[in-house]
Amino acid sequence: MAKDTVLMGLFNKADHTANTVEALEKMGIADDDVAILSGIPYPAEILGRPLVWERIPVIALSGAVIGFLIGIFLVAGTPQLYPVHVGGQGLLPIPPLAVITYELTMLGIIVSTFLGVLWESFFPSYGPKRYDRLVTEGHIGILLRCTPEQVSLVKEVLKENGGHHIHTPERRPL
Amino acid sequence: MSKESRSAPRPAEPDQALALEMRPGILSDQLLLDPRPVGDMNRYIMEAMQRTGKGFWILVAILASLVLIGYGGAWGYQVRWGMGVAGIRRPVFWGLYIANFVFWIGISHSGTFISAVLRVFKAEFRRPITRGSEMMTTFSLIVAGLFPLIHLGRTWRFYWMIPYFNQRQLWPNFHSPLMWDMMAIFTYLTGSTLYLYLPLIPDMAMARNITTGWRKRVYGTLALGWRGSESEWHHLKTAIKIFAFVIMPVMFSVHTIVSWDFGMTLVEGWHSTIFGPYFVTGAIFSGVSAVITVLLIVRKTMKLDYFLRPEHFDALGKLILVFSFAWTYFWFAEFITEWYGGEPVISALIHMQARGPVAVLWYTMLFFNIVVPWSTLWNRRIRRSTTAMLLITIGINIGMYLERYIIVATFLTKGRMPFNWGIYNPSIVELLISIGALSLFALLYVVASRLIPLVPVWEVQEGQLSHSLRPIGRALVPSVVDLE
Repeated sequence: MAKDTVLMGLFNKADHTANTVEALEKMGIADDDVAILSGIPYPAEILGRPLVWERIPVIALSGAVIGFLIGIFLVAGTPQLYPVHVGGQGLLPIPPLAVITYELTMLGIIVSTFLGVLWESFFPSYGPKRYDRLVTEGHIGILLRCTPEQVSLVKEVLKENGGHHIHTPERRPL
Repeated sequence: MSKESRSAPRPAEPDQALALEMRPGILSDQLLLDPRPVGDMNRYIMEAMQRTGKGFWILVAILASLVLIGYGGAWGYQVRWGMGVAGIRRPVFWGLYIANFVFWIGISHSGTFISAVLRVFKAEFRRPITRGSEMMTTFSLIVAGLFPLIHLGRTWRFYWMIPYFNQRQLWPNFHSPLMWDMMAIFTYLTGSTLYLYLPLIPDMAMARNITTGWRKRVYGTLALGWRGSESEWHHLKTAIKIFAFVIMPVMFSVHTIVSWDFGMTLVEGWHSTIFGPYFVTGAIFSGVSAVITVLLIVRKTMKLDYFLRPEHFDALGKLILVFSFAWTYFWFAEFITEWYGGEPVISALIHMQARGPVAVLWYTMLFFNIVVPWSTLWNRRIRRSTTAMLLITIGINIGMYLERYIIVATFLTKGRMPFNWGIYNPSIVELLISIGALSLFALLYVVASRLIPLVPVWEVQEGQLSHSLRPIGRALVPSVVDLE
């Protein structure tokens, strides 16, 4: 059956939110159909949510490798393109290689981590979204999808666990 | 302990009324134990940002005029007539511009140290002060980055430093410390700007939600569509953690490489192996002091007493005392080694500092960097006094500026060939540009303080959630749980 009904409820406390998440899970609402919105970061364990595999460290590592290779090219590669021998010195001194590759490796991590956040969070996304501004006032929002048959039961669960402002949120510009 | 008290049931969750009863005053003293409704805290910050009276605009006008005089007037004059209008001439080719460059790079260490290092070590007092110090890092790097361009003389040739090949396939020389400098500063500026921006995204969303008009549009754009979902927080927290670990070694590298601009030369007094740690220590010393100065001014003018409390200046005061010890250690290690060697040119330089024309600057530096912090900052009452801390930290930065000036400008006056000795006096052009630089930093900060939430509200709220008072014996003791 199509899960085409979206509901949202707000909670004042993390305990109430965690109880609600547990109750929703028991009544058969899948983890993927529930999203928590909050003004401060709550670890997944506190709210009883599944741990998410994070790809940003891998993206950062990839950025480091790219930065490192660019650094090698700049210090070791560019002198080979137009060799200028000065005072009998080698074209590839190791200490400058260490400095430049270090800086560019760091730059690679920095830029890729930032881009990783944008990529993984689908930022920027300025379209209309389901949201409630009370989330930034300290409330915790539970946004969920369910079947039309489950609506009344879900509303009851939300209310029983201290939920308020229970409604079907419209997509609106943020 | 009596049997009764041992067997007495222990209260599970003391409420605030009980806390006040047992240790009156503790709640109002510590920000993280004094939570207010989240909405009130948001509005508190936003109202402070939108308060722009007549005094604010007069200050902006004065600073903008000084920036215009410094950069538009004096720098423009130098570009028109050449480097001859500056005081630098044989044998002193590095003068006030490079001293300013080193000083402002040093100031930029404030944000990274306070935000990244204290975040990694989970020092909770950092929470309300990270944003203000990160802003200092970004703005001081912008100011610092202009000085090499000014010092170039032919500023329009700056693009020769950009790593790409010319028409003969010749690339810039990456073996030069000056090139390392550019790479390090670019990395640090990019890193610190993104490190400022990332934790700002949730606060931008908060600002978007409670403002209207052009502010709402600007904050909405900068918030990137943030809603505060679990995955958004998860990605953000991971990225902040990575940034905190990465930006620290970058911070150390930047000032170390700046010190190598000096250390890699064979100039007497500059060719030193400990210049790296000496410069880095001095940078953190002056940077943290500058953070205190700025936050004290911000606290007063923007009425942020709720967020910025004596406890924060107390903690930062201890930090600068430690860094004063460290700076003194490096300075003395460098000084005594040079002095003991008895090399003639070095002896002449030391004589110039101790008894010659530089003596006033040298003793002032030692007074502000050693005597003042050592004699005052051991005292808790002084560390918690806003007036005293303002004066002490301004003094430290005067001392650190003089240190930069002495190293850069006076060491070059006496080279290995005595017939080539000379003196250096900064010209009016150099002085005006230096004043313009200070004004540019202040202007950027003043304007940003009305556009960017100066306190990371969500970080404070997160800290308040993790702090509570726990009864141990007859006292309520602040306790913290790790939410990360």
